[in-house]
Amino acid sequence: MRYLHRGLWFLASLALLVGLIWVWQLLADARILPRAFFPGPDRTWRALSRGFASGTLVADTLTTLRRLALGWALASLLGVGLGALVGTSKWAQAWIAPIFEVLRPLPASAIAPVLLLFLGLTDSMILTLIAFGALWPMLLTTVHGFSNIHPRRKEVARSLGMGRGAFIAKIALPGALPDIMGGLRLGLTVALILVVVGEMITVQGGLGARILLAARAFNAAEIFAGVALLGVIGLVTNALLGLVETRALRWQRR
Amino acid sequence: MTALKGLALPAALLLAWQLAVMLTGLQSDTIAAPDAIFAALGRGLTEPAFWADTGDTLAAGGMGLALGFVLGTMSGVLFGLIPPVGRVMRVTVELLRPLPAIAILPIALLIFGFGYRLEVAIVAFGTCFPVLVLTEAAVRQIEPRLSEVARALALSPGARVRKIVLPAVLPRLFVALRLAAGIGLIIAITVEIAANPIGLGARLMQASNSLRPADMYATLFWIGAIGWALNWGMLRLQLWLFPATKGAAQ
Amino acid sequence: MLETTGIDATENAAEDVLHVDAASVRYGATTILDQVDLTLEKGEFVCVIGPSGSGKTTFLRLLAGLVAPVQGRVLFRGTEHRAPSREIAIVFQDYANALLPWRDAEGNVSLALEAAGVPRSERSDRIHTLLRTVGLAGSEKKFPSEMSGGMQQRLQIARCLAQDPDVLLMDEPFGALDAMTRQKLQDELLGIVRESNVTAFFVTHDLEEAIYLSDRIIALEPNPGRVSQIFDVDLPKPRNQLTTREMPEFLRLRRELFDFIERFEQ
Repeated sequence: MRYLHRGLWFLASLALLVGLIWVWQLLADARILPRAFFPGPDRTWRALSRGFASGTLVADTLTTLRRLALGWALASLLGVGLGALVGTSKWAQAWIAPIFEVLRPLPASAIAPVLLLFLGLTDSMILTLIAFGALWPMLLTTVHGFSNIHPRRKEVARSLGMGRGAFIAKIALPGALPDIMGGLRLGLTVALILVVVGEMITVQGGLGARILLAARAFNAAEIFAGVALLGVIGLVTNALLGLVETRALRWQRR
Repeated sequence: MTALKGLALPAALLLAWQLAVMLTGLQSDTIAAPDAIFAALGRGLTEPAFWADTGDTLAAGGMGLALGFVLGTMSGVLFGLIPPVGRVMRVTVELLRPLPAIAILPIALLIFGFGYRLEVAIVAFGTCFPVLVLTEAAVRQIEPRLSEVARALALSPGARVRKIVLPAVLPRLFVALRLAAGIGLIIAITVEIAANPIGLGARLMQASNSLRPADMYATLFWIGAIGWALNWGMLRLQLWLFPATKGAAQ
Repeated sequence: MLETTGIDATENAAEDVLHVDAASVRYGATTILDQVDLTLEKGEFVCVIGPSGSGKTTFLRLLAGLVAPVQGRVLFRGTEHRAPSREIAIVFQDYANALLPWRDAEGNVSLALEAAGVPRSERSDRIHTLLRTVGLAGSEKKFPSEMSGGMQQRLQIARCLAQDPDVLLMDEPFGALDAMTRQKLQDELLGIVRESNVTAFFVTHDLEEAIYLSDRIIALEPNPGRVSQIFDVDLPKPRNQLTTREMPEFLRLRRELFDFIERFEQ
């Protein structure tokens, strides 16, 4: 009954979206929306299918996906690894963690010009930008997760005579997992922004470069096609990570 | 004591960096010595153009934040207060939300061209959704308890929002504003770096393109300081206005 | 108790499980426990009562090896004991923090077996027996978040029993539970202690609970915490929630303990 109820609302919500797209089409057909900026769903769709047929859109999408995956994976490894080290060490928390707090409000994209000086307009500049920018949220949440283990759990480990390795594997890591998952999610959002920014700056292929070039050519349909694909990438990657998260954290009852 | 410990490592690194540059007599297009960076920052702080750039970034970001915040809270209150509206909008919102704000830059560029309006539009788009989600959650959590009070008092819908809902969600709205302010600054700088030729982001890009590392690092430092001051100030303000939000401070 | 030297000590070693010898505990300049003595014999049930600030929990942590004495010593089966041991199990009051929320009931009991190096093939049987002992048969796959407070505390007790301990230390274990659940768990605990012949050390602020469970009650007094009086409880076993609590001896002890506590309250 509850599921049926929720399913019906989902369908209604979907119907509203379809309705909105239909209204957009009507407005575009009636020339109420300026054609130069708002191409309408039909022309966006045609740009999409044209791009897919010629293969250029597929290539750009794959390029963006590859950079997103590599950069995010690199950031996750570094962020969670370093975070675990800092979070489990009293010394590191006193001496190193305050730096993180100071660096946190710095916009990640602001280091793009610095990386540009070092690495130029290259693929590795984009990857470094993503890895460096997405690392911070993961690092901070992981440190938080590891440093907030309840003292009682440490006492339980002591009274059971657990070693340091067993303590990390069985108590610290699972306990920090909700924070780590939150960090991975936040990092993904940052990584998606940075892949687009990096591609816009370097113009080394990918969807970010594609939509910026389309804007310079005043090709609105092409922009909308690219933006739609970026939206789908954002939606699907977030949903996949959400799925992993609910599996990993199924012990947390809402 | 803890603050001193936190400063020790950065200070040591800075000192080592300075010594390394001085000892090797480094001349570089990518690296600058700390003294050169601080000199560049000092020079910048006396230049009107530097302050004009700072003003541009803050103005464009601030206006975008204002717009995004108003749109976000209004829809959030509406969605939270009338649950069917929120439910029927779910798919549309969830579809637009994961879209990185910077992706709409080309569209906004076509419509507005370079300048303030481009940046305001993107910041507004980027801040609107987080505010909407936080507001909707805040309104929905408070509503069941107080709606009975409102009904007992026979308040009109308008008076209900003004007298019951807003005061009850105000602390959480401020938390949303604080988070959105941070996001807004990030988006503003990002837009300036990616395309818009105004503000501190563009200044940073120019310094990089014309191989002036000292100026570049000085601007980077300045942007970091603004971000830090904004975060600090908003947090202070929040704790002062709403002491009960201490737990939600981070 | 006075003679801890030579033949006497070794002779008693068979019976004495834990022996506290003029131990003091300090945090900074404050003395929490001052020169406390105690001997726990095998299989006996000892409760500790006292006004707040008398160091009840610190006493338990001293026996657990979680804090070390600055003076005196704690002997566990005749040898000095300064760090936690697997033979001494602790039941904490805040079961929610002491259990691992990401492990189900089986997993939480299994933690103790894993720590003790019990091979995987033997764990399953022992886990099921233990869960049955504490009345959690059928809840093997439940996570702590799906259990009531009473069930979670039962689960913690099961994990402690999985350590196969000689001593069971309990820090106000039923303090957060409602009256009905509390009485039920008291009876179950008495049964478990009787059957496993474990030595129980139980901290509580509920005077009636102390009388109902104990063979002996240690009363602590505050500032600094020290042993003030020891009450022997001569009530027949097995105890019964209705008849035991109506016995003249129970009421007499209740009166005495009440007067004792009263002295420290304004």
